[in-house]
Amino acid sequence: MEMHRTSLPMGILVTLLFLFLLAPVLLVFPISFSGDQILAFPPSSWSLRWYSALASNTVMISAFSTSFVLAAIVTALSLLIAVPAAYAIVRLKTAGSEFLFNLFTAPLLLPTIVLGLAILIVFASIGLLATFHGLVIAHLVVTLPYALRVLAVSLGAANMACEEAASSLGAKPLTVFRRVTLPMMTPGIVAATALCFLVSFDEVVITLFLTGPRLTTLPVELFNHVERRADPLVASVSVLLIIVTLAVVLIVDRSMGLTKTFVEKK
Amino acid sequence: MMHQKNFAAEASQGDPDAYLRLEGVSKTYGDFEAVRSLDLAIGKGELVALLGPSGCGKTTTLRMIAGLVPTSGGRITVGETDLTAVPPHGRDMGLVFQSYALFPHMTVARNVAFGLEMRSIPRGEIDRRVKEALAMVQLDKLAERRPRELSGGQQQRVALARALVVKPSILLLDEPLSNLDAKLRDEMRTQIRDIQQQVGITTVFVTHDQVEALSMCDRIVVMRNGRVEQIGTPVDVYERPATPFVASFVGRTIRLSGTANGDGAIDIGGDVIRSAAGLAPGPAEIMVRPHRIEVDWTGQAKTKDDVNRLSGVLCRITFVGDVIQYHVGIGDAEVIAEASTTGNQQLPAAGTPVTLSWRVEDTMAFGSGQ
Ligand SMILES: Nc1ncnc2c1ncn2[C@@H]1O[C@H](COP(=O)(O)OP(=O)(O)OP(=O)(O)O)[C@@H](O)[C@H]1O
Ligand SMILES: [Mg+2]
Repeated sequence: MEMHRTSLPMGILVTLLFLFLLAPVLLVFPISFSGDQILAFPPSSWSLRWYSALASNTVMISAFSTSFVLAAIVTALSLLIAVPAAYAIVRLKTAGSEFLFNLFTAPLLLPTIVLGLAILIVFASIGLLATFHGLVIAHLVVTLPYALRVLAVSLGAANMACEEAASSLGAKPLTVFRRVTLPMMTPGIVAATALCFLVSFDEVVITLFLTGPRLTTLPVELFNHVERRADPLVASVSVLLIIVTLAVVLIVDRSMGLTKTFVEKK
Repeated sequence: MMHQKNFAAEASQGDPDAYLRLEGVSKTYGDFEAVRSLDLAIGKGELVALLGPSGCGKTTTLRMIAGLVPTSGGRITVGETDLTAVPPHGRDMGLVFQSYALFPHMTVARNVAFGLEMRSIPRGEIDRRVKEALAMVQLDKLAERRPRELSGGQQQRVALARALVVKPSILLLDEPLSNLDAKLRDEMRTQIRDIQQQVGITTVFVTHDQVEALSMCDRIVVMRNGRVEQIGTPVDVYERPATPFVASFVGRTIRLSGTANGDGAIDIGGDVIRSAAGLAPGPAEIMVRPHRIEVDWTGQAKTKDDVNRLSGVLCRITFVGDVIQYHVGIGDAEVIAEASTTGNQQLPAAGTPVTLSWRVEDTMAFGSGQ
């Protein structure tokens, strides 16, 4: 592999661009250590008071745990549905699988706000508003297309001859799937897990329509909080969000590395 | 059509020793016939090549034997067992793919162990047999590597070890050498043949490389458009091709058309060529291997009874190192004759009248019907 050498001006330009893009995010960190009553930069004094305020804010804490549990359940369900679906579409090529794939991935093309409204109307009529399982279903509508895309691509890239070799070596179909297909899909599964988790954890637009005073998620609560008051609590919540997000992104990055180790030399 | 019938009779009745049998096996995709009523009987321990141009149905045939592609008709049996409806995991066949298809997430040793694990063999015996198999292909040192850390030739040998370690009843190889460079291909050719003989395993070898088929295999099945053109030993197929297609596909040939006059001779632009084939009067074609042709420009070549002679004009000479190629114009056609180089040759100039001669028995003649 040839090393890419970037010229100095190019390097400076790229650094500036990154700073520009990241500045708002980076600002959140100093602000979260502010000792002030109101949101301002730079803070006039430093303290950990907004972290302790966060720790004793039961609404935020419960919204965080709702978001976390919701994202975990949505991710698990997405995989449970998308892995077999991707297999049926890519490998078995069952009748109508093309149609199924398009149907599943269609929400990717719709404006989220329209999707949110549609779900609101449907859920209102069947009493799913402000319920946890309602949220799970709504988030699945958003995460499944991602999961299916990623898994279908990763399965498509896996050499089908490996599965045939396994079966000719005496492995029954389920064993082939467990011992060969699934491990070959691992990078895709890791990536899909991370993606689903992030999408669900960050989802605001649709969730706004579906949450109520008794059930709310962290991003929605953050939104509500900012509307009511302008204290630096939101900064400490943001830091929490960023840390969870970064952790997930790191997993994705690791899985990309994994992809390279798994993909065969051509 | 008569041709086909004969093979069918041969496969189902003759040859009681046949181990792997294909009877009227066919495969259609929509209304496209990829393999048409194929009959084949392979003896135990035999190495048989399926040879033919791209798209003639070799891989499809092999995959039907392995059970990876369902047949559209016909029967496949091994010994007394009818395997036609048996799924691949119940067929006990070792398969080596063109892409090797090693499991990327397993080490070399785990790859080779896979088939043994599927057979619920105790761990200790698995370890021993994996070691043996890897030693057989000289890869014992690389047991803990991953497939992507191996060269093409090494991957190929792992694939071979993985297929053989389970002692399958049949070994199926689909162009296993086509991804290797020329030198390695030569080496692997010998190695595969040696291992095949040592293990004594019945083997079907798919290739589109005639040199591979001729040099490695006991018998060759020449295929074209989903049909068998000829089944025979390498010598049969090379020396006594059943059709012009076989003659031109296996080995190199020069090709001239003329008219059969009914008494065993063929008229080519005034020269009379004799052959062993009794052709009916009408348009005919003769073929000769370039290296069987002698080129004479001294005008002193002796006329003999068992030698065909044809006169032409030298167009040009190509020096290819080991051999010299004489491009000779005969009427409108140009043919190539080949001779070994000797070092101190006096070569004629272009435009020199020359005489080509070759033995009558080296003349392959075909009527227009073939
Ligand atoms: N799944 C399929 N659907 C439709 N046609 C197919 C399918 N698989 C193979 N064919 C056709 O069947 C014919 C035989 O294919 P096959 O793969 O057996 O050829 P081959 O002799 O192995 O050729 P090659 O030397 O290129 O590998 C080809 O014309 C191919 O296009
Ligand atoms: Mg092929």
